[in-house]
Amino acid sequence: MPLNLRNSLESRASRIQDPIERLRYLKSRAARAVAQPAIRRPRKKFPLVCLALVFISLLIPGYQASTGTEQIVPPFPRFQAGAADVYPNVWVVEKRPEFEVYSNGLRIDDRYAVSNQGRLFYPVFQRSAIDPDQPEWRSEPAGIVYHTTESDQVDFEVGQNGELKRIGKDVLTFVRRNRCYHFVIDRFGQVFRVVQESDVANHAGYSVWADDKVVYVNLNGSFLGIAFETQTQRGQDLPSANPAQIRSARTLTEMLRAKYRISASNCVTHAQVSVNPRKMLIGYHTDWAGNFPFMEVGLSDNYIAPPASISAFGFDYDPVFVHATGVRIWQGLALAEDELRAEAIAGGLTVPQYRAILQKKYKQIIETLKAASADQETDHAT
Amino acid sequence: MLHKDKTTDSAVGLDVGTSRICLAQRVGEEYQYETQLNAFVTIPFSKITESVLQKEAVPHSVTGSEIVVHGNESDRFADLLNVETRRTMDKGLLNPAEPSSLEMLRRIMESLLERTTERRRLCFTVPAAPLGAEDNLTYHEATLRQVLSEMGYQVKSINEGLAVVYSELESSNYTGIGISCGGGLCNVCVAYLSVPVLSFSIPRAGDYIDTSAAAITGERANRVRIAKEDSFHFNGHFADKLQQALSVYYDEMIQSLVGGMKQAFSNSRNLPRSNRPLPIVLSGGTALPEGFRARFEKILVEAELPISMADIRMAADPLHTSAKGALVAALADE
Repeated sequence: MPLNLRNSLESRASRIQDPIERLRYLKSRAARAVAQPAIRRPRKKFPLVCLALVFISLLIPGYQASTGTEQIVPPFPRFQAGAADVYPNVWVVEKRPEFEVYSNGLRIDDRYAVSNQGRLFYPVFQRSAIDPDQPEWRSEPAGIVYHTTESDQVDFEVGQNGELKRIGKDVLTFVRRNRCYHFVIDRFGQVFRVVQESDVANHAGYSVWADDKVVYVNLNGSFLGIAFETQTQRGQDLPSANPAQIRSARTLTEMLRAKYRISASNCVTHAQVSVNPRKMLIGYHTDWAGNFPFMEVGLSDNYIAPPASISAFGFDYDPVFVHATGVRIWQGLALAEDELRAEAIAGGLTVPQYRAILQKKYKQIIETLKAASADQETDHAT
Repeated sequence: MLHKDKTTDSAVGLDVGTSRICLAQRVGEEYQYETQLNAFVTIPFSKITESVLQKEAVPHSVTGSEIVVHGNESDRFADLLNVETRRTMDKGLLNPAEPSSLEMLRRIMESLLERTTERRRLCFTVPAAPLGAEDNLTYHEATLRQVLSEMGYQVKSINEGLAVVYSELESSNYTGIGISCGGGLCNVCVAYLSVPVLSFSIPRAGDYIDTSAAAITGERANRVRIAKEDSFHFNGHFADKLQQALSVYYDEMIQSLVGGMKQAFSNSRNLPRSNRPLPIVLSGGTALPEGFRARFEKILVEAELPISMADIRMAADPLHTSAKGALVAALADE
């Protein structure tokens, strides 16, 4: 486990005054930790992964490389960012047919709003004992997934106003036609509502996320989608957003969190949740894989949260994902690997055996969901 | 017997030790304890004796031609009758050589705990497996679990050393080494952020000191124990043969404990890698004599253990530490 995550857990625990509550917190995060030697999973497929992890570890302040005499660090199977959620207080100030204004300065343009299949109920699975045949059903949005539109880009300067507006309009038209996202933030930072919040948008496709209680599978129904009009640049690994877009993302996130009581730990990027069920690999889509401005948007750094796709369903990752991701997401990946390994040891299984069991469970869930509704991966830009 | 009132948490902690059983409850912000000796003595039945015991409210029961006095009063009667007390447990487990062990243990626990219909949570301590030996705790733990469940509690167990950590090491986020020096065993647990990563027991503890010193001095072990608890301390110059013997066997016990720690830590690959030294807390009745901590520290430093340790200290309330830790575990599960 990366040293800074260990310190983070300790730091959070130390802020809890009541000893019983503190113990409860630590046990909930470390209850299934086992004191066993680390299984060194063969990584013939991914030498780059190992190299990157070592390199990244050396960049972490306070990290000290282990020596031959040092002992094994027990893993922490559960880590959730945002231990204590504080929900913003945001309310509607003005509501007109074409726009809404909120108390935190957010303005939503409703001219492109469109309905889609309504969000009646979506399934969740208890994290402590995932039973494919026993989902719970919920109806309120539980989280937010941040996307990039991957649409055409021109230089962001005054001389390009006409082109910027034309492209922005084209993007909105495309997004509206395909019901891709609930909201789009254009390059001027304007927020457009596309799919109604009460409806499902086709934004997340095959995807997995979990909070400390439940696991969400295929997030179109359970999470709202917000897309930044931006693109991953050639020669530059990652997309970026301009200050106007970040400012709008913050006010929009505040409003949605306030309205639906969305936990900060459930505000994540598409790259963190996207999976490829056919190959059982994570990161089928890689938008916002490593440089989403969590802090600037008013959230904690959710890149350090372990993707549940790995720990709960045994997904793996490949060199394509390695190339597409930034430094920050590695912390979460390493933690998820720790979780998987600890659970395997606790169950007396090898990691491949345990991974196979988890993957089977995921496939059962997908079959169940397919039978219940038509979850489809759309062909939108990302 | 402690009873639940309006200000009492529903959870209960129970330290089931070889020599004593201690109950912990939280009333408001305070922890309250009640202890009974885990021992009994039999005396010949007579109506007069029984009526005196009843009049004096001495816990007892009549079995055929015998009266069985159990709990705290057993010490006094054993001394009066010049016999040894009988023990329900030996070396941390139910005493296989004592046919009445289970029945007497049940009665002693009933003198501490009321039966409940509220399914209160109860966490009781169990020893760790002896170092280098097979884990043979299943029968002991399952039996206690059954007895306590029959009294109406929701029961779980906790390693005794871990209970020390939960009781005393909140300031280090439940990271460190908890040691309980009891009657039958010394229990050691290394915990890391509340997770027990290594635990074991050493079968040399208070009873070993008592019986060894008794064999040298010709005293009964029970009297040796009382003398030990009343007046023994380290670093004294003893003219008294009993005190000398106690000093020798205490040293031997501590050497065994530290030697066991060294062996366990050297052989384990499970210990946490940490830049910070681990704090150590000593608890239990056998750790009570003045000078015990310093003697333990001296032997520990000389042993050069393979992990870094710091802040060796006595528990705030050594006789009640494990019971409190069991209670904390039960409360944390609510």
